[in-house]
Amino acid sequence: MTHTPTYDIAIIGGGIMGCATALRVAEGGMSAIVLDKDDLGQGASGVNAGTLSLQIKRVKLMPYALRGHHLWEQMGDAVGFAKTGGYTLAFNAREAEMLQERQTLKAQAGAPIEFVSNNALRAAEPHLTQKVEAASFCPEDGYANSSLTGQYYRGRLRDAGIAYREGCKVTDIGHSAGFLLTTTTGQIRASRVLLAAGAWLKPLAALLDVDLPVNARVNTVSVTERIPTLMGSVIGHATGLLTMKQKANGTVLIGGGWQGLGTPQDGRGTVNADAVKPNLALAQYAVPALAKARVTRSWTGFEANVPDFYPLAGALPGVPDAYVLGCVRGGYTIGPYIGQLMGDFILGRDPELPLFDPGRDFTKDTT
Amino acid sequence: MIRLVPNQATQITRSEKVTFTFDGTPVTGHAGESLVAALMRAGYLALRNAPNDAAPRGAFCGMGLCQECTVMIDGQVVEACRTGITPGLTVERV
Amino acid sequence: MADHYDIAVVGAGPAGGNAALAAAQAGLRVALLDEQPTPGGQVWRDKSASILSAPVTPESRAGAALRKAIETSAVTPLSQIRVWDIRLRDDHWVLQAQRAATSQEITSKSLILATGAREYVQPFPGWTTPGVIGLAGATALFKQSLTLPGKRTVVSGTGPLVFYVASEIRRLGGEVAAVVTPNTRSQWARALPDMLGQPKLLARGALWVADLMLARVPILWGHAVAQVDGAEQVTALKVRNLRTGTDGPDIAADSLCIGHGLIPNIEAAQILGVAVRHDPSLGGWVPDAAPDGATAIKGLYLCGDGCGIRGATAAGLQGSLTGARAARDLGRDAPTSPLARWHKADRFGRAMTALSLPTPALEALTTRDTIICRCESLRCTDIIDEVATGAASTNAVKSGRRAGMGPCGGKYCQSAIATLIAAQTGKSLADVPPPTPRPPLRPVPLGQAAGAFEYDALPISKPAPL
Repeated sequence: MTHTPTYDIAIIGGGIMGCATALRVAEGGMSAIVLDKDDLGQGASGVNAGTLSLQIKRVKLMPYALRGHHLWEQMGDAVGFAKTGGYTLAFNAREAEMLQERQTLKAQAGAPIEFVSNNALRAAEPHLTQKVEAASFCPEDGYANSSLTGQYYRGRLRDAGIAYREGCKVTDIGHSAGFLLTTTTGQIRASRVLLAAGAWLKPLAALLDVDLPVNARVNTVSVTERIPTLMGSVIGHATGLLTMKQKANGTVLIGGGWQGLGTPQDGRGTVNADAVKPNLALAQYAVPALAKARVTRSWTGFEANVPDFYPLAGALPGVPDAYVLGCVRGGYTIGPYIGQLMGDFILGRDPELPLFDPGRDFTKDTT
Repeated sequence: MIRLVPNQATQITRSEKVTFTFDGTPVTGHAGESLVAALMRAGYLALRNAPNDAAPRGAFCGMGLCQECTVMIDGQVVEACRTGITPGLTVERV
Repeated sequence: MADHYDIAVVGAGPAGGNAALAAAQAGLRVALLDEQPTPGGQVWRDKSASILSAPVTPESRAGAALRKAIETSAVTPLSQIRVWDIRLRDDHWVLQAQRAATSQEITSKSLILATGAREYVQPFPGWTTPGVIGLAGATALFKQSLTLPGKRTVVSGTGPLVFYVASEIRRLGGEVAAVVTPNTRSQWARALPDMLGQPKLLARGALWVADLMLARVPILWGHAVAQVDGAEQVTALKVRNLRTGTDGPDIAADSLCIGHGLIPNIEAAQILGVAVRHDPSLGGWVPDAAPDGATAIKGLYLCGDGCGIRGATAAGLQGSLTGARAARDLGRDAPTSPLARWHKADRFGRAMTALSLPTPALEALTTRDTIICRCESLRCTDIIDEVATGAASTNAVKSGRRAGMGPCGGKYCQSAIATLIAAQTGKSLADVPPPTPRPPLRPVPLGQAAGAFEYDALPISKPAPL
């Protein structure tokens, strides 16, 4: 009889949340293994635009985002962290009104957001269009390099002595006196499981006969080749449909949640030129000199969500010792922090901030 | 000496010569030929510097894929191998 | 308003050109798109406008015949057009294209991709020095501009292309300092049976070699260029005997044309969802397509070197088969041709591709300090270090080091990186697939990708929940 490796917890999904939770439970003395069907950090954690902006976070998630920012700053160069400050722009009266209303609420929730004059904006970002109607600024905003997520957490897991398997897809989860996972690289036993598979949570939870109402957005990001400096801060749009920053290497990264095609079940999703074009148009409208910059790559990532757009973070309903973490709007920013909270919860400690019950009624706003 | 592959260089006729500038220096080539060919004949092989190590680079794939021969024309990065020369064209290094 | 066609053919080489002709003969409205000013592709590339007259060659004759056939057909050639994205929208294909400073959409019921090949060059010290160009790049220079890469050129590489390039340098009045080929004479002898089916090509190759020998140009069989010297441009190079590992004396030269086989341009097919498989005898990763171009995706066809390196003859034949198949699938009458000729050309093509494959001895030329990713100036050590810390796929190495994130999109480094990953992890090359392909297919100026727009007409959706 072959020996089946056994762990205190098997974490399915090697993105930021799964890895951050693994690090926390390992600190607490649990033996953990992280499983990913692809490579670590190649899902949403590794292909998002890397924006760390409090100005685009949900009001109720602001305390989590503030703590998330702090963690990213600590990770520093290893994840390409840069605190540049960020401007959010409104180009007409309607957008200005929206900006005023939304950023005021976010400021009240603790984000150091202020409204800035046209002169101040122009002095800071001389390449911006003249057509700005209103702008807000948050000095805490910046970005990290999401491409480095896999490399970073691979190193962290290795340094912490935590096992991980890449290219390991979980095809079945047996449940009686612990869990028996059948995977494409063999069987694994664990006393607990954490489902942290992002956009693939729904089929994963189905293996435990739980129906999670998880949908996936297909967010698009584009990048230009290296160009001379056109912007120093993160640039956003009042609607959230543009996020843009120029990296230290001169490339300009353009996102904003424009929708690509495909579903998580199909594979990786594909870019939809019909969505990329207005995304790029908006970028060009904000910084006209971008028109001549060559776009070298566009890609998509699946962003999971549930109907109320709040996180799934807690016990998996109806399955003892099973947990779920995902669907965090602003998950790149908040991921490292909410992973710690999740780890504390699994360790039986009181999390610093409340988690989000995956068994709640998703049709109501739980605020 | 017997040549199985004859030298046909003298049997080629080319269009009139035109002058363009590369980084401010006048260069002559034949109207309509590729910028890479004209620059190569004029001895300009290093067209740009690579990022990170600033090493000189020049035309490599010759078919618009490798992006090694990029130059700047009218503020736009273009591949020299896919650009035809015209009189007075102003070409700059990226 | 978009231009709508029954069939859009991307790539106007022997495969795409013949596919377009066959489809048009069946009465369909066909657009033939290519980046070059006129059809011909790489192998039958046309002379530029700067060449008023020049001696005819087999390539120029074949290219002229294809161009004439297209001109006198109902095919609509769309030249100097760059397709940067292709997508299925409802029941038709949408091609985003850039032409000069404008952008346009072209739509079609069916799509034929004839995207051809690019060159593989095994990285070695100094290969990024100006004056080192690809063998295929050299042929482009000869065919389009009738221009030499330098005054004294070393020609090096695998397969038949090395002799063609050397011969063309001599025809255009240049000096070939040496021909350096990793292939041995016995490798060529073993390929002979597969080549007998194409006697004309065989005879031409024999003539190139005989001419070089008569002219006393050194042909170094079983050798490779191991290093290029020169800061701003090539001044000299070192040649290594691949069997003994010993280096010969430096060869003075101002230019080097070098190539180690061709790689199919599969990115467009991959993005559209065609499965790919690893087949070394076809140049590496190839998309699944039938001899008549059909794929698992309705209305999508592939032909020519883009679905496996078989050479111009096979490409032309497959193009005709594909155009006819696509026409039949759209309900037109088009002849079904026997596959015998194609199979013969396929056999020849595979034999030539096998001769061109990089060998372990060739791969050993890549030193730890050699640049692998030209765009990002990443060295072999950078890749090795990333793999050593656990990155076991091309995607992981790309994410961690930006290898393949530069403007070429990994076209000139991914094969070498896959080889390094395979060697270090003990995987077979078939288990190290290329990274996820991403549009645009070519770099595209942002303003042209965005197209003309009015701010108020942008589809601004309602903002995310507060």
